Amino acid sequence: MDTTQLLKGVLDLAVLAALRDGDGYGYDILRRLRAAGLDEVGDASVYGTLRRLFAGGFLNTYVVPSDEGPHRKYYGLNAAGHAELQRSGKVWQGFASTMDDLLRERETA
Amino acid sequence: MNSTAQDEISEYVERVRAALADLPEATRAELLEDLPEHLAEIRAEDTVTLTDRLGTPEAYAAELRATAAGFVGGFPDPPKRRFEPFHTARADVMRVLGTADVRVGPVLGYPKASDFLKLLRPAWWVLRGYLAAMALAYFLDAQSYQVGLLPRIGNSTFIALVLLVGFILVSIAFGRRRFDLSRWPRLALYGGTTVLIFVAIGGFFSADSDVRDPGYSDVGYSGGGGNPYDYIQDVFVYDNQGRLVPGARLFDQDGQPIQMGNAYCNDPDTGEVSHSRSMGYPFCPDAAPFASPAPEPKPTVEPSFVDGNEPSEAPAPASASPSK
Repeated sequence: MDTTQLLKGVLDLAVLAALRDGDGYGYDILRRLRAAGLDEVGDASVYGTLRRLFAGGFLNTYVVPSDEGPHRKYYGLNAAGHAELQRSGKVWQGFASTMDDLLRERETA
Repeated sequence: MNSTAQDEISEYVERVRAALADLPEATRAELLEDLPEHLAEIRAEDTVTLTDRLGTPEAYAAELRATAAGFVGGFPDPPKRRFEPFHTARADVMRVLGTADVRVGPVLGYPKASDFLKLLRPAWWVLRGYLAAMALAYFLDAQSYQVGLLPRIGNSTFIALVLLVGFILVSIAFGRRRFDLSRWPRLALYGGTTVLIFVAIGGFFSADSDVRDPGYSDVGYSGGGGNPYDYIQDVFVYDNQGRLVPGARLFDQDGQPIQMGNAYCNDPDTGEVSHSRSMGYPFCPDAAPFASPAPEPKPTVEPSFVDGNEPSEAPAPASASPSK
């Protein structure tokens, strides 16, 4: 089992969480995830996830002109996105604590 | 952003698109809609190429496919490709080329050899325009058996120059824009380029041999402006009194003997051909075009037409005589 496999299941949640602190464009979000310690996450994953969340109605988007370089497409959480972050976050925390407990029992057993 | 980066992005997007070719059109469009802008953001972040930063477009497409599963009902795995050995061989070749690219690059002073080749792109556009014009002129202009350096149709230099400049401009304009060509037009473009390269190689070697061996193709063509001495069979030397010089030897400025004609004589009576016994020119003294005047121009002695020829009017010797 490696992080890449785990990441697949929680990438939506990770991206939603990265957007909680503020809107961002693709590369910006990738950097936030990497800074948070998710080194394995790839650019295509972030881009694909953003597209999918946007298509699912969880994000709004707008374009910001840039002085140096191309325009940037920013993504931000809308109401549905915030709600989804709450819901998925709880699911993950429940799952994670279950796993923690399971592993702790195994270790102490 | 310069055009090289744009080229790189469109090429990258195209290859991702090709790798996702099995997806329904709507899904693929949805997925790729923002990709050029997204890649432009990334490309602007630093100077390394997209492939260096993101991996190959095919790997990027695979990750995108995995991530976007569940997008609209999920993506199936791509079907097993046809011509699998062909694709494998191609991948091997590409890998070898990629290694060579990185190895050769530093020798040229670039990170990769392809970086240098990319700089040569505009030069290729100009050359391609020239080659296309030459190829067109060659196929259209049936009357010329010799190809020169200009794309001539007929003999007009002006038309050739217009054609040349026009093709080069079109080729540059074509190169500057990237077209999203679908499979067949793209194959047609590659095929056309291959034909041009063969035309170029053929033309280059043909021109090379023409320059090294001029006049070769002109031998035997009377109007070809070839060697004017091709038809000489014998040489007759007259002194300033109009007398035929027997056994003359000819030398050039370096003392090299000048060899021309052939040492066989045709007997006018019998028609027999025999080897000349003369040690110099003329090979066949009997066939002299002008009769020599009498050795001693004394009016008393009966004229001695030793060789039996009538002293017909002989322009060169006659005019030479008074100059004594």
